[in-house]
Amino acid sequence: MSAVNIDPARLAIFDSLVGSIAEEMGAALRHTALSPNIKERADFSCAVFDHEGQLLAQAAHIPVHLGAMPESVRAVERLAPWRPGDLAILNDPFLGGTHLPDVTMVSPVFAHDFAGDDQPIGYVASRAHQADIGGMAPGSMPVARELIQEGLVIPPIRLYRAGELVEEAMDLILRNVRTPDERRGDFNAQIAAQRLGEQRIADLYASYGANTYRQTTQALLDYGERLTRAALANLPHGSWQFSDSLDDDGHTDDPVPIKLKLTLDEDRAHFDFSDTAPQRAASINAVAPVTRSACYYVIRCLLPPDTPMNSGLFRPITFTLPERSIVAAQSPVAVAAGNVETSQRIVDTVWGAFEQLLPERMPAASSGTMNNLTAGGVDPRTGQPWAYYETSGGGLGAGPEGPGLDAAHSHMTNTLNTPAEALELAYPLRIIENSVRPRSGGGGYHRGGHGLIRRTQFLGPAQLTLITERRRQRPWGVRGGEPGRSGRNSLETVSSTGKSVRRKLPGKVTINVEAGDIVRVETPGGGGWGEAESG
Amino acid sequence: MTTNEQTINEPRRDRLLGVDVGGTFTDFVLLRDGELSIAKRPSTPDDPGRAIIDGLAEFGWSPEEVVHGSTVATNTLLTRSGAPTALITTRGFRDTLVIGRQARPDLYALHPQRHDPLVPQRLRFEVEERVAADGEVITPLNLDQLEAVLDRIERTNTRSVAICFLFSFINPEHEAIAAARARQRGFNVSASYEVLPQHREFERMSTTTANAYLAPVMANYLDAFDEQLGQDREDNVRLRIMQSNGGSISASSAGRNAVRTVLSGPAGGVAGAFAAAEADGFTQAITFDMGGTSADVALCPGRLLERTDLVVDDMPIRTPAVDLHTVGAGGGSIAWFDPGGALRVGPQSAGADPGPAAYGRGALPTVTDAHAVLGRLRPEQQLGGTVSLDVARARQAIATIAEPFGSVEAAAQAVIDVVNANMARALRVISVERGYDPARFSLVAFGGAGPLHACDLADVVGIPQALIPAAPGVLSAAGMLIADITRDTEQGLHLSINPEDEGEIEVLNQAFTAIAAQARSAIAEDGYSDGVSVEYSADLRYRGQSHELTVSLNAGHHAAAVRDAFHESHRERFGFASLDTPVEVVTARAKARHSGYRGDVAVSRASSQDQSWTASVTWDRPRETQIMTRGSVSEPVSGPAIITQIDTTVTVPPAWTATPLPTGSLLLRRDS
Repeated sequence: MSAVNIDPARLAIFDSLVGSIAEEMGAALRHTALSPNIKERADFSCAVFDHEGQLLAQAAHIPVHLGAMPESVRAVERLAPWRPGDLAILNDPFLGGTHLPDVTMVSPVFAHDFAGDDQPIGYVASRAHQADIGGMAPGSMPVARELIQEGLVIPPIRLYRAGELVEEAMDLILRNVRTPDERRGDFNAQIAAQRLGEQRIADLYASYGANTYRQTTQALLDYGERLTRAALANLPHGSWQFSDSLDDDGHTDDPVPIKLKLTLDEDRAHFDFSDTAPQRAASINAVAPVTRSACYYVIRCLLPPDTPMNSGLFRPITFTLPERSIVAAQSPVAVAAGNVETSQRIVDTVWGAFEQLLPERMPAASSGTMNNLTAGGVDPRTGQPWAYYETSGGGLGAGPEGPGLDAAHSHMTNTLNTPAEALELAYPLRIIENSVRPRSGGGGYHRGGHGLIRRTQFLGPAQLTLITERRRQRPWGVRGGEPGRSGRNSLETVSSTGKSVRRKLPGKVTINVEAGDIVRVETPGGGGWGEAESG
Repeated sequence: MTTNEQTINEPRRDRLLGVDVGGTFTDFVLLRDGELSIAKRPSTPDDPGRAIIDGLAEFGWSPEEVVHGSTVATNTLLTRSGAPTALITTRGFRDTLVIGRQARPDLYALHPQRHDPLVPQRLRFEVEERVAADGEVITPLNLDQLEAVLDRIERTNTRSVAICFLFSFINPEHEAIAAARARQRGFNVSASYEVLPQHREFERMSTTTANAYLAPVMANYLDAFDEQLGQDREDNVRLRIMQSNGGSISASSAGRNAVRTVLSGPAGGVAGAFAAAEADGFTQAITFDMGGTSADVALCPGRLLERTDLVVDDMPIRTPAVDLHTVGAGGGSIAWFDPGGALRVGPQSAGADPGPAAYGRGALPTVTDAHAVLGRLRPEQQLGGTVSLDVARARQAIATIAEPFGSVEAAAQAVIDVVNANMARALRVISVERGYDPARFSLVAFGGAGPLHACDLADVVGIPQALIPAAPGVLSAAGMLIADITRDTEQGLHLSINPEDEGEIEVLNQAFTAIAAQARSAIAEDGYSDGVSVEYSADLRYRGQSHELTVSLNAGHHAAAVRDAFHESHRERFGFASLDTPVEVVTARAKARHSGYRGDVAVSRASSQDQSWTASVTWDRPRETQIMTRGSVSEPVSGPAIITQIDTTVTVPPAWTATPLPTGSLLLRRDS
């Protein structure tokens, strides 16, 4: 460990400065993006790195991006040497990405007084969930078997070379997506955020001077490491096991188990996922960065509020991830649901392990699914193609402090819903109901939060995909609390005789729907905490 | 200052009083025969009006018009002491207040919590009705259901009702019928198409519900206050209330539109600080109010900026408010080491009790203690007139964190550097992140601690100069005094502005005409029908965007001019314009304005104790420093210097110069 002499005030001030650069990138991206997914739902993250690709700060609205961004910076190393103005783009889950809709841009930062063959002084990156990136279903979250079915796979390539747009690359990408104008707008927003971040980091570097800047960045990472070690030192030491499982992989009915052995010693945490299910020819496979993010998320919840986010925090945390398993998938399997659903179950598994050692702090399981709905078709009003993606919250787990929140997103996501009055103006859809699902939270001394009922009507023919979980298994309660109710999907149609019919849909499905059909998504409740008082 | 043309509708400028009711003190600024007087009294939180009435009696003042910054709406919201309120909404949407935008407030909380909605489930009702996105009625309003719901509400003895139907901002027909029926039965009704006719159902419903919840409380308070004010007088005293956006409205309007006054007090501070800067000739200002627990900053690029995205306790309040950013950094903010060994300052504050160690009771190191250790707060000067400064105790407190810094002085400087970095971050959010270059602004510092930090903060952020108004302790009340009378109206729309399509512009202009007429008639009801101007603006975005920019426009604009105005604003704010993308209008806005008092708000200061002496103060190193009372500054003072006055202390660091201006303000500039 370096013993750099940076005083405690300089450390806090530098952390504030790099943090505000990441936030400024995020503000620029959000304000200039076109799609509701980025602007309304804030499904993106921005981050700042040192010259070795170590994360210095991240403006993370989305925990699933936690600690997964450094993989992107590592993945673009193959494109070196860099020149000022270069900018790389990627979404390949096996090369620095997470799932295909998450498109990541990485660009090197050079000092203002750049000369000839200087190396980058750092990197900036942004990741945004694009509403469509091609593939077999609008929204690019199909019930697939292979990655190639899910959409266009972009390995790390240059989108800008020395400040010049590589137009062929942009053309190729836009030709492979359903809504190219919207994509171009969102890409431009990401590029604007990148350029702003590059400028700000170069300014900061200049104001500190090369030596002080490098020393301070290393001191910041050491500081992050101390924060985690201090928190771990206060926890009990030992080993704990927990397992949970996904309902199914969308093609067969077999549950998909995730098994964890958590070991805590002096000031380190080790996550061992040996015995977890092998990867499947399905989309529930998570790549290793997603699994690590899920574990980092739980650790982050145990750290004090306002803890900064940098690579140093993760140094004391190690993993055993079985190769080609659903927590460390490898080509060629599909991965879309790994990011959004398996990540939630990994959190539940880690949460359950920690609950055993911290019963006085940890709540029960939350709804455990993002209830992904993607749909698209041709808008009968305009003749234009449309693609829409939304996620829905559920009940949160009850805890020692009180009941779980109703109808909220949990753990790996916190994206906003799209208001009915924004959605119906933009898409041929109508929200019929958006309500709290009664009695869905698990009973207990404190009850689990209730889930949601969201009914959406289609105003024209469309293709609909649901990727949802906890439709068979229920979010568990703790300390005698009951589990929350499992979720339910159904389709309400009007038969030729005018009778209203409701048909149950599986948890993971792609179907064609007609004008007037209503998809009804009932999301799971959270687990209860403690035994209910009798009477 | 009064003119011959003054009509009966003019504000009565002979005896005009601005009052700011704060948590601890109620501040008064009286304008009488062209002279300003200031006064302070302890606040009376159980009945905020009493401090005003008692103050007027004590000072022997009999104003003809009172402009009042009221904390009634804010406190009622924060303490949940409003009127029991019922909600009527479209079938399928009664839980909208609970679900909100489905986000949890804290991403990494082990056990996230949210505030309960203002209306409990048993008072949230649905009726069958539906309007589509294009305004077409697809399910007629079920009147039998509506009456049944009103029956049920009646039986609960709830008198206040909020009504919010989907797409009522496009077609208010159903909502208007429901509101009329409810009013016929004597309910106190807030209808969303009247309170906030804008899209996004949760935000509109939340704002409308808050209004229904606040209005009866506000009306009761104002009635009682008005009555007390008018007692034993021949004619009624005219009472106005400051709105959240820095314009004032009549008391009766404030009673009906209570939700528009949620930021009443802070709006006065920003308005007063900006007016002080303008009076000194500085129209590009960043206001900076630092008190005991927090600091408020606002950017004023030639005008007060407004925002419409205020959130109070998880409740969106979408009515216009001054664009204020608050950070947990004040004189009482506590310094501490986090487990990783970094020095943090705040957001915990020693508050008023026990307060900073230097005030005699606290023991934890605070920002105030750091200033006392360095000699920037002076023991010779009594703070707030009553408390004396215990430097030894402050030293003890700072010594508890001094080890890594080598000396108590170095630790004290570190505390100040860190709190300045926290505030600098807030300043960057309101300036750089919005496309404004701080180098083109002046920092207007006030509040008890603002002038202590003004120069350092200006340095960190790259602001070239700072301004300390003459009476920084009563700026809010002065802001009330000079407040214009304004009425804001808006209309949600969904239009595309294409160059080839003047038809849509026609719709926009019709909307402008309608809301301008509404604004004019509302301000006329308040008693101001002459000398009223109307300003127009619109919330615009590129098609597909869901975040709007409010852009100033003239009514009767051509499509091309509207588009150009938007492209220009977008470029200014975000650095680029997308000339090929269609532009959409989401909200049309009109503001009717009647000018308030336009004169000097500077207060000449008593000079009975004018004196100056020298002492050792620690800057980069200990330096012999001139200490002066504010009244003794009659010509430029080169730093290092400390200028003290009853309600604040101004630091002039080395290489800075303080120059007194004719208005009584101090201008602080870095020596070039």
